[in-house]
Amino acid sequence: MALQEDNLWYKDAIIYQLHVRTFCDSNGDGIGDFVGLTQRLDYLQELGTNTIWLLPFYPSPLRDDGYDIADYTTVHPSYGTLDDFKAFLTAAHNRGLRVLIEMVMNHTSDQHPWFQEARSSRDNPKRDWYVWSDTDTKYQGVRIIFIDTELSNWTWDPVSKSYYWHRFFSHQPDLNFDNPEVFEAMWEIMKFWLDMGVDGFRLDAVPYLVEREGTSCENLPETHAIIKEVRKRLDQFYPGRMLLAEANQWPADVRAYFGDGDEFHTAFHFPLMPRMFMAVKLEDRKPIIEILDQTPPIPENCQWCIFLRNHDELTLEMVTDVERDYMYDEYATDKTMRINLGIRRRLAPMMENDRRRIELLNGLLMSMPGTPIVYYGDEIGMGDNIYLGDRNGVRTPMQWNGGTNAGFSFADPERLYSPLISNSVYGYQVVNVDSQRRFSHSLLSWMKALIKTRNSYRVFSRGTMEFLRPSNHRVLAYIRELGNEKILVVNNLSSSAQAVELDVQRFKGYIPIEMFGRNLFPRFGDLPYLLTLGPYQFYWFRLRRI
Amino acid sequence: MADETFLSDDLLRQLMSVGEVDLLVGILSHRSANTVRRAAHYVEKSLQQNFVRQRVAIISVDGGAVEDSGSEDHSGDGQPGNNSNSKGITSLRTIHRVTAAFNGAPSPGLALRTILSASDLLRARGCAVVSPATSSTSPEWVANLLRPAFRDSFDFVAPLYSRHKFQGLLARNLLYPMTRALFGRRIRELYSDEWAFSNRLGNFCLNEDVWHEEPVRSRPEAWMGISALTSDFRCCQVYLGEKPPPPDGAGPDLVEVLRQTVGSLFWLLETHQQAWLERKGSEPLPTFGPDHAVTAESMELNRARMFEMFQTGVKELGPILESILSPETLASIQGIATLDQHSFRFPPELWVTMLYEFAASYHHSVINRDHLVQALVPLYRGKIYSFLTEFSEASASDMEAVSENLCMEFERQKPYLTEKWKAGIEVKS
Repeated sequence: MALQEDNLWYKDAIIYQLHVRTFCDSNGDGIGDFVGLTQRLDYLQELGTNTIWLLPFYPSPLRDDGYDIADYTTVHPSYGTLDDFKAFLTAAHNRGLRVLIEMVMNHTSDQHPWFQEARSSRDNPKRDWYVWSDTDTKYQGVRIIFIDTELSNWTWDPVSKSYYWHRFFSHQPDLNFDNPEVFEAMWEIMKFWLDMGVDGFRLDAVPYLVEREGTSCENLPETHAIIKEVRKRLDQFYPGRMLLAEANQWPADVRAYFGDGDEFHTAFHFPLMPRMFMAVKLEDRKPIIEILDQTPPIPENCQWCIFLRNHDELTLEMVTDVERDYMYDEYATDKTMRINLGIRRRLAPMMENDRRRIELLNGLLMSMPGTPIVYYGDEIGMGDNIYLGDRNGVRTPMQWNGGTNAGFSFADPERLYSPLISNSVYGYQVVNVDSQRRFSHSLLSWMKALIKTRNSYRVFSRGTMEFLRPSNHRVLAYIRELGNEKILVVNNLSSSAQAVELDVQRFKGYIPIEMFGRNLFPRFGDLPYLLTLGPYQFYWFRLRRI
Repeated sequence: MADETFLSDDLLRQLMSVGEVDLLVGILSHRSANTVRRAAHYVEKSLQQNFVRQRVAIISVDGGAVEDSGSEDHSGDGQPGNNSNSKGITSLRTIHRVTAAFNGAPSPGLALRTILSASDLLRARGCAVVSPATSSTSPEWVANLLRPAFRDSFDFVAPLYSRHKFQGLLARNLLYPMTRALFGRRIRELYSDEWAFSNRLGNFCLNEDVWHEEPVRSRPEAWMGISALTSDFRCCQVYLGEKPPPPDGAGPDLVEVLRQTVGSLFWLLETHQQAWLERKGSEPLPTFGPDHAVTAESMELNRARMFEMFQTGVKELGPILESILSPETLASIQGIATLDQHSFRFPPELWVTMLYEFAASYHHSVINRDHLVQALVPLYRGKIYSFLTEFSEASASDMEAVSENLCMEFERQKPYLTEKWKAGIEVKS
């Protein structure tokens, strides 16, 4: 299957996020690799996703799960070779799967040769590639992001006897984008991968590229200028490739990263994500409606990316203090579940393994405007291990079957890069791809059907959204429209059955057709349309006028 | 379960949309839609600040001033929460506003019954009833009322205020001391526009077959309070702050006030006699916040006509008073009515005796009960005139001592009332 030529393909994408290390080990060293991943591409194609987002696979000391990069233009030997990656890329493209990779522009590992050079001497040509200071008092008041582990954004370098700036871990010094050489170096790296054929980049930590005294050192105009330049070159030399922004900000602040359609193609809608979880717990649509009401329109050629969980903690940075406390109390009662300003748990455990809630949240993910991202393992309801350090509890090996090492590796279990989830609820013996493939009612089968339905109608990926606001606040209902295509989505956020009257008089005469069973429902008339929904139930209706 | 047949379809539909709540606040009918709207805004603010995670609803019982109803949060001023990162997000949950609309202002009894029904159908754990006039004083007002019912398992929560020494004279000279002496509980503000109650008490009251009775129609809060005090319900008082004066010209005249308050008090004595006849002494109620306070700043008073009306009333109502009062009591009252206004005093002992004879006569229906209560009006004026004259320069602490002495007098003479209550009385035609 050849890749479709469409410069707006990312609007129709369904992204599957994974780390190559977690997916499949082909050589028995206990670590997933590109050969193994290539072997599993059929699975991703079968699932219905059409884009793979790979977490960092570069050489790295792995002190931040690969986001501390020591060499940008090759593959960590644990994951294979550059040729293995090329083979994977070709195989993916042959199956119609696009590939996004990480590009960490903001910082490198302190083991990167650039930093090793920069710190070696104040006169080194690469000295100015990083942000140095003789004191730690510059940029006062700038927030610390990894509050659990870092006390300052400055760290003393004993080698060059000065401080260097880092917005993340102290072993991740920030690059200095005030130096044009840095930009050009990063562009060369991007070209390296673009020439190989990757379909785009997730740019990590973009709000922090530039620092200025007296500011928050986030979202500065100079940062946007850098992004614009990247985009300009991309459009000129690599049309159809995509940039995805990781900017954990309020929607109005993320808006700037779309520019006038001349910066990022896509950006994560971080604030929506916790509010989906909140809405289900509160049994109230208010958090979702409120954040989307204050989400500004974006250029026509841009798209939000929406998600439920990912490799990081479920971030609670972009919520109020009250909302954060509520989320902690409801979803992370055990403080071990909390890290930084977030919750390090997977989707299924957060939903208490309630199939109905898992389906409801995935239904929201697939029906709300934006490109959805599925985190690996969530399609089968994988569990987590909160006792692993950092965020590693949500990065355990993929569970393929109930056999040795869950089919992930033939190495000795002790050699696996991470212990498997093996408890009686989420353990690989119970939750795995093979067993779920056997049954049409499994979560995996259901996800396939959901994705297939979503893929069948472009209105989900490109249509407008209008909230209906029935008086029953436990029901979230909206209309998606694209040309003549109209879809009514109705979600019961509550644990109890609900009745709702929908104001659909403007669609009088339309016949709602439930999209999974394809059954007809009574035609819309003059009166409010009465629906009843079971606990956590949702409907997708295609509206036909015949 | 509530008899909800008197609830309109529209109200029922609104309640269905709300679902179960933890807290319900009822705003009683008022003349001005703007006032109700403002009150709802302050109530909402209070709920947002103090009951962040609870499911809450506000019900306006409205006689013609129709509010927007619906489930969305319509925070009045759109101010963001205290958190500088709040980005305009003011509350965790939807705060529901429900309107129960009537054609014309409903009676307080019907309004309360509507609120009780809503509370029952919504399964609210705690409910407060507030007045538009007072609930806009501060957001803490409503929260202070609700907390004891919601968090501390109290069933009835009465307000306490800081009042000027010459405010609330009816309560100070009659309603409070008489209720205290007879029912044995020191509840200061039984006749108030705001109070709170638990789901348990609400259900109890809703199922009582008294809603057609005039005292319940006009002053349902007193009936609810007495029902709580005389049954197995936990009662308390909570300090709310300074009682704002009513808007100029607002409220019924004195005759109507006495009909509603004293009339309902006498009716309550009648209906709850098993609870008070044998009770002795009085006990304080658990109180949250500082106890009530009395302020004594100077205040202009117009009492010129009061004494005249007292004298005129005593003279013209002589035959009626003969039916109500004992000869000795009547003679004493006629005696003080001949004093000049500078030396006039209405002794507390006489005041209490007179009131108890009124109560007993009400019980025995010696004359039409409504006429009986109205006959009290000029006598009350005389008492108040005496009070204002005697204590115009008194300090706040002096006033408290005076009030306490009056209360003790009521308690001391209770056996007299009991005796007259139980005795047969010849009904004079």
